[in-house]
Amino acid sequence: MAEKLTRTQQKNLERLGGVNPADESFSRRQFVGQVGGYAAVAGAAVGAGLLLRDRWGMEGVKPPPPVRLKDYGIKDLPTSTPSVVVVRSSPILSTANHELDLIAREEQAFKMVKAALDEMGGVAKFIKKGDVVVIKPNVAFDKNPDLAATTQPDTLAAVVKLCLAQGARKVIVADNPINNPESCFFKTKVGDAALRAGAELMMPQDSYFEQLYVGGETITSTWRMFYRPFREATKVIGISPVKDHNLCKATVTMKNWYGLLGNPRNQFHQNIHGIISDFALMMKPTFVIADGRKLLMRNGPTGGSLNDVKQSDTIVVGTEGTAVDSWCVTRLLEKQRHEILYLDKIIARGLGKDWRPQWTREITV
Amino acid sequence: MVKIRRAYEVFFLGLFLFFLLITDLRYLKGWPVSLFLEATPLVAVSTALTTHTIYRNLVWGLVIIAITMMLGRVWCNWMCPFGIMHHFFGWIGNRRNTKQLIEVNRYKKIYAIKYYILAAMLAMAGLWIIPTAWDSPGKVWAVYHASMPKVVDGSRWIVGPDGKRQIWTMPPSAPIPKDYALLERSGADRLFGAVGQGIGSAAEEHKSKKSSLQIGLLDPIALTVRSMTTSVLPTIHMASEGIYTEPREYWMAWIVGLIFIGFLVANWWIPRFFCRAICPLGALLGIFSRFALWRIDRDPVRCTDCDLCLKSCEGASDPHKDLRKSECFVCLNCIEECPHDALTFRFLPRKASEITYPEVGRRQLLLAGIFGLYFFPMARLSGGVRKNFSRAVIRPPGSVAEDEFLRRCIKCDQCIRVCPTNVLQPSLFEAGIEGLWTPIMISKMGWCELNCTLCSQVCPTGAIREISIAEKLGVGPFEAKGPIKTGTAFYNQGRCLPWAMDTSCVVCEEVCPVSPKAIFTRNVEVTDRWGATIQLKRPFIDPVKCIGCGICEHECPVKDDPAVYVTAIGETRDKTRSLLLGLVEDHAQDLVSV
Repeated sequence: MAEKLTRTQQKNLERLGGVNPADESFSRRQFVGQVGGYAAVAGAAVGAGLLLRDRWGMEGVKPPPPVRLKDYGIKDLPTSTPSVVVVRSSPILSTANHELDLIAREEQAFKMVKAALDEMGGVAKFIKKGDVVVIKPNVAFDKNPDLAATTQPDTLAAVVKLCLAQGARKVIVADNPINNPESCFFKTKVGDAALRAGAELMMPQDSYFEQLYVGGETITSTWRMFYRPFREATKVIGISPVKDHNLCKATVTMKNWYGLLGNPRNQFHQNIHGIISDFALMMKPTFVIADGRKLLMRNGPTGGSLNDVKQSDTIVVGTEGTAVDSWCVTRLLEKQRHEILYLDKIIARGLGKDWRPQWTREITV
Repeated sequence: MVKIRRAYEVFFLGLFLFFLLITDLRYLKGWPVSLFLEATPLVAVSTALTTHTIYRNLVWGLVIIAITMMLGRVWCNWMCPFGIMHHFFGWIGNRRNTKQLIEVNRYKKIYAIKYYILAAMLAMAGLWIIPTAWDSPGKVWAVYHASMPKVVDGSRWIVGPDGKRQIWTMPPSAPIPKDYALLERSGADRLFGAVGQGIGSAAEEHKSKKSSLQIGLLDPIALTVRSMTTSVLPTIHMASEGIYTEPREYWMAWIVGLIFIGFLVANWWIPRFFCRAICPLGALLGIFSRFALWRIDRDPVRCTDCDLCLKSCEGASDPHKDLRKSECFVCLNCIEECPHDALTFRFLPRKASEITYPEVGRRQLLLAGIFGLYFFPMARLSGGVRKNFSRAVIRPPGSVAEDEFLRRCIKCDQCIRVCPTNVLQPSLFEAGIEGLWTPIMISKMGWCELNCTLCSQVCPTGAIREISIAEKLGVGPFEAKGPIKTGTAFYNQGRCLPWAMDTSCVVCEEVCPVSPKAIFTRNVEVTDRWGATIQLKRPFIDPVKCIGCGICEHECPVKDDPAVYVTAIGETRDKTRSLLLGLVEDHAQDLVSV
């Protein structure tokens, strides 16, 4: 140190052993370490920042790409195959044993659906080994199945068993009801029936919804849809009740797909016929089943009184939902065909065909 | 050196105040008035956490980070307007003698609080990392498997000279056709790609609805702009009448003002209290300053332990012993004060004579992080954002959907500053506690001017994304998309003059700015109480045309509880808050709602 040190400073120097560590310059190692470290970290920070940079401010609000639904229909059906098969049966006579009644009802449903599919070329035509089948029942309300506002649990169980017996790898039963999903699946007994028959139950959760591209008349681009069950699906079956509806007059197989939409779906009541006709574009199922064994004739779609219910023991199976609906509203619900505007809309848009006697079979088991 | 620093302080505070004053329709022109807000690195870092992007000019924050990593926290005492104000307030409030000054500038344990605040706020912004971590292994696995070349019975992938891949099904002994090569994708290559893609897609899936941006509460620039906008400038205007043309009022601004004054006055008890103990930006820069190549260094021989360097130490960084690098504001006062020239600002001084990292307790840090992780879900699930969203949360046009908005808005209230009609107001708890001081439109205060998009232009983070007049009005290229709606007007017929009081009025129809008008009237003939027949025009809303600007509510003569009022339903920024079916389904709408 060149300048003269004070006494305290002398003492400091002695304490440090005569060498002032601050006089030493930095070592090469320190230079490389610190400057190199600086350059690396600052470069990484700035580089990562520029990589994340949203130049026009639109990246952050870009929606994820929408999903699309496959066509689940069977392509190689012979032209002679009927598009609608009506199966009638005689009512099950009640016995004193409730359990036996239920078994008998399920057996009846099994026979009816199987007979219908046989008429259309056999179950094997529709369900193959290894298929993942999604079944969409209508369990919109938490009501007892006897009130006919929802799909009959024994029909659903019969179809699940039919699929599994044919070698389906998995059967998923899914719906997004209006009422609370847990109580709907529980009180309509559809959840229990599905599980007992060996299906997987999928209830809607927020993360199960994705934006589905429809590109139709009412959903012109995308809408939130309960898509998760369809991720691995190879076949889709809709099982709907046959019932009255306050706005669109009838809920059968077409309106059933409404239950796959996410909120705010209540806005679709502003154009109910338009949205139902969009379903013909959105969903091409393997086949649909109109479960007309019990009919809700009035006060639909909720019902609530046994006085509104009519026993009919009819099941209508078809590959053409429009034709099935058309048959059901006139023959089962006793409505005028011209009241059902959504059917006309589907037909006018070329998305479906009305029923014709030559494409329809009626059988009795 | 200190004189140079003072010049910088005057310059940057002046620039800040200049920008603040010209954030006004009359003077705005093309000035980058949000520069300070865009330069605070805390905003860049935390919005990168919540949105996975850095919005436009927020890259300025990276420059400040790079400077900090070279020179230390120069931001705090050279550039930050709030820091400079604290410096100034501490100086005018100073009544201590030298001995007291030295004592008050020693490092205290409470100065670590800012790191805990930062940890809590970043944890809130990063909650999505937890579900992403849960989900990533499965996603990585799926991508890894999908990228596996299909090999069945010894068949292999081959790649032709044109780069086209195909499956070669001949047995392994057969030679590969001429010009073809075996395609081999190594396991490491696939794994690497799968890890990146898997984590990326998991993060993208979970970023929404799983984080909240709260740094704006205490970010010094956001806090200063907010306080200036809502309380200081209106106050100055009352005395000088020089700021606005019309005096401004801001909802519950006294709370913002009291907090601001409180932090400034706190300097008289603890100098630089906010900067030393509270500022989360200071904490962030404190962490980055560990890399600083230059710093204050003490010569252990020349130093006589007089502690005079502490007399005007701004950061309480203990220059009289081993320097606390993370606390030093680089004000350079200590160099000036040292009677023995023992302190220098040196390039790469000895590592042994510094405390490189901030002194924080691991437990406290963990606790702060856990608090942050807990606070956000607790706040979000208290209603007010999703199911039970308030009808009063009418966001300015261009705002992104509410969840995204809360992940972007830093509550700087720059939009409120620039709004020419006073309609934009700092909310209190209307949008939940997360939305404290975020902008909402209160139509009794003003209205959304039809041909104005100023708020979207000054927003530093894209909570209000920049829109053009054409986009706002839905004309030109935006014809198919339609106008941006901020809400929908409704009539309270029990208070409306022509509806309830047999009196002509329809001011609302007159001022309705859209064409054709969203307010229309139907003529009625009524018999008044004296038996005379009178003609009345009764107003109605056409919800297709109404854009929710609120001028009808503002001009309604039933002042206290207007007979026509706007609520948030029908806003186009969020599909789930739409009202009419025909208006939500345009392709362009998907830009703002997911």
